[in-house]
Amino acid sequence: MKKTVLGGLCAILLSAVSTLAQAETIRIANHGQAGIDAMKSTVERIEKKYGVTVEVVEYPAPDKDYLTKLLTELGAGNAPDLFSIPTTAAVADMVEAGYLAPVTTEFKAWDGYANLYDVAKALAVSPDGETYVMPFMLGIQEIYYRKDVLEKAGISTEQPKTWRELLDRAAEIKQKTGAYGLLFPAGVSWGSGAFDEGFQHLLVGSKTPQLADADGKLDLNGEGIKDVFGVYKELIDKDLMPTQPLLGPEPWVVPKYQMFPAGKLAATTCGSWCYIFDWGRESKNPIPEVTKVVGTWTVPGQNSGQYVLANLAAPWAVNAKSANTELAIKALMEIGSIETQVSYAARIGNIPASKDAAKNADFQKLAELVPIHAAAENGVFLKQASGFGTVAEGVARATEALLRKETDAAGAQKILVDYVKETLGDDKVK
Amino acid sequence: MARNSHEKRAERQWLLILLPSLVLLLAFVIYPAIYSIYLSFTNEALTGAAALRPRFVGFRNYARLFNDAKFWNALFVTFVFVIGSAVIGQFVLGLISAMALRRPIRFRRLFSSIILLPNAAPEVVAGFMWISMLAGGNNATLSRIVGFFGVTPADWLQVFPLSMIIVVNTWRGIATAMILLTAGLSTIPAEIYEAARMDGATPSQTFRRITLPLMMPTILLYMLISAVSTIAVFGLVYALTRGGPGGATEVISIYIYNQSFTAFQLGYGAAVAVVALVISLILGIAYVRAMKVEV
Repeated sequence: MKKTVLGGLCAILLSAVSTLAQAETIRIANHGQAGIDAMKSTVERIEKKYGVTVEVVEYPAPDKDYLTKLLTELGAGNAPDLFSIPTTAAVADMVEAGYLAPVTTEFKAWDGYANLYDVAKALAVSPDGETYVMPFMLGIQEIYYRKDVLEKAGISTEQPKTWRELLDRAAEIKQKTGAYGLLFPAGVSWGSGAFDEGFQHLLVGSKTPQLADADGKLDLNGEGIKDVFGVYKELIDKDLMPTQPLLGPEPWVVPKYQMFPAGKLAATTCGSWCYIFDWGRESKNPIPEVTKVVGTWTVPGQNSGQYVLANLAAPWAVNAKSANTELAIKALMEIGSIETQVSYAARIGNIPASKDAAKNADFQKLAELVPIHAAAENGVFLKQASGFGTVAEGVARATEALLRKETDAAGAQKILVDYVKETLGDDKVK
Repeated sequence: MARNSHEKRAERQWLLILLPSLVLLLAFVIYPAIYSIYLSFTNEALTGAAALRPRFVGFRNYARLFNDAKFWNALFVTFVFVIGSAVIGQFVLGLISAMALRRPIRFRRLFSSIILLPNAAPEVVAGFMWISMLAGGNNATLSRIVGFFGVTPADWLQVFPLSMIIVVNTWRGIATAMILLTAGLSTIPAEIYEAARMDGATPSQTFRRITLPLMMPTILLYMLISAVSTIAVFGLVYALTRGGPGGATEVISIYIYNQSFTAFQLGYGAAVAVVALVISLILGIAYVRAMKVEV
C-alpha cells in the first residue's frame, strides 16, 4: 500500500515538474537559416530576461509551404507560441479564424511604439481595429532594373511616369538588347508572391486602387483590376516578360537568380532584400557592385503618380492558444527591438520599421538600405480585409491563365472573381 | 463442456492478440474516413471565419464539385496518368524485364539490381532527382543528352508535363511490376514451353498462346494493385510539378491537397476525396467483376 501511495505521489510530482518545465518554454517558428541567425541574439535576450527556454523550430522555406504548415498546426491546436506570418495577405484571415492573440494594449505601451513609421503602425491594425502583429520590419518594393544594361544600349534610365511609359520601356529593352524588359511575379507556383510582389504594385496606382470596401466586402469587379491584368497580357503577348520559368515548381529561381544577374532580364519588381539576399553579399550568384549597376524605379501609376509599396515583412504574432500568452507577448515585444530589426536587415535586407534604426551604427553600415529606410514613410499599401488570402490565390490562378495565353484581361478578372466567390461564398464579393 | 470452455478461452486470447491492430485500424483508418465524410458536409476551412465557426452545408460541396472544371480536369489527368504509367508503361516494361531476366543471360543479377534501384528511392527524393534531369531548359541533363544528337533543348516539365510524370512514374514502378510478373511467370511449367518448342511454335505464338493466357490472373491482379497505387501517387508529382503548369499534371491527389492545404478549404477538399474514393471503389469492383477474377 505504501509503495502504491509513494508511486502515486512520485507520478504527481513528475507531472507537476514537467508542467512547470513546459510553462517555462516557449516555442518559436522561424524559417530559413538567415531568419534563424537574425533571431539568435534576440532568443538569447528573451531567455536571459525572462528566465525561459526558447525552442526555435525551423519551418519550410518557401512561403507557401510555411503558411500551409503553420495554418495546419494552428487548426490542430499545436502551433508554436510565437511565429512569423509569411504573407501580410494572410493576417486578416488568421485573425478571423481566432488564431492570433490581440496585443493592442501591450503594443501601444511598448517603448518602441512611438518611433515606428506611421505606415508600419497602420499596416499592423486589423480590420477589427485591434493589433495582432508586431510590425518590426517593412518590405519596401519597387522596380529594380539593370542600369548598366540600359545605359550600354542607349536606353533611358529615367523614371517611367505611367504604365504606358513602363511598357514602352520594356519593349525598347527587348528590341535593343534582346533581354526581357520587365517581370511581375505571376502564376500559381509563386504562391502569394503573385499578389504581394506583382499584382498589388500596379493595383495601388490603378483607377480602383483598393480591394476592400468600408464594410469589409471585397470589390473585385473594379475597372482597375481588369487594367492590371491588361498590363500582364501585353507583357506576355509581346514576349517582354519570361513566361516559361514562371510555370515551373520554383518559378523565382531562373528569372531572379539567373536571368537578372546575367542581364537577360533587365527589370523586375523586387524588395529591399534584393540588394542583399538576391543579388548582393548573401546571394549565391551576386552581381558585382550591385548598388551601382542595379537602380530602382518607383512603380508608376496608370496615368500618373509614383508608388512605393510597403508591406509588413513577415510580421510576428502570438498564438491565441499559447500555453503562456503573457510570456509570449513579452517575447513578441523583444522581437521589435532595434537590435533585432538591424540584425534582420543585415541578413535578409528588409527595412527596420523604427525610425530610430537610422541612428544605429550597425544599420549605418548597410549603405544599400539606408536610403530606402528614409523613403519608407512614403510607402503605400492595400487596406487589409478578410479573404485577402483567397484573393491572392485567385490572382495567382488568373495570372497563370494569362501566362498560358488561355485568356484575356477580362477573362483573368472573371477567373479571380469566380474563384473567390466559389471559395468564400457569393456574399463576400461585391 | 470442457472443450467449449477451452474454445472460448482461445477465442478470447485471439481477440486479445487482435485488439492492438483493431485499435490502430479504428484510430488511423476508420475514424479519419468517417471524419472526412463528416467534413465533406461542412464548410470547414483552415483559415478565415469558417475555421472558427464551421457550418453544416449539406450537399453544397458536392454540388459545387460537379460544376468544377478543375475537378473534372483532375479526373481526366488521373485517368491518363494511370493508363500511361501503370497500365502501359510499368506493365509493358515490367513484363519485358521479367521475361528477359528469366533467360540465362550474362550480368543478370546486375540488371536485376539496376531495375530494382528506382524503388529504393522515396517518391519525393526520386522527384527532386528527376527535376535536375528535366527542368532548367538548356541546363537540364536530358537537354544536354538530346542536344548532343541535334535535338532542340527544352524545359521538359513545361513542354511535356504529363508525359514526363508518366515516364518518371513508369521508371519508378518497373521493379514492382517485374517482381510480380516474374512470380507469375515462374508458375508456368517449363514442360509446356518445351512441348510448344517441339511442336514448332514461334516465340510470338508461345507468348500469345501460352504465356499471356496463363499469366492472366497475375496480370489482372497486378493491374488492379498498380492502378490503385498510381491513383494515390502524390509525392512524386508534387516534387516534379506541384500539379502545374496550369493544372496539366494536377492528378486527383494533388487536387485534394491543393483544395485542402493551398486554398485551405478542408470541407471541399474532403468532398473531392470522398468522390475520388467512391469512383476508385466503383472502378475496382467493376474491373474485378468484368474480368471474373476472385480477389
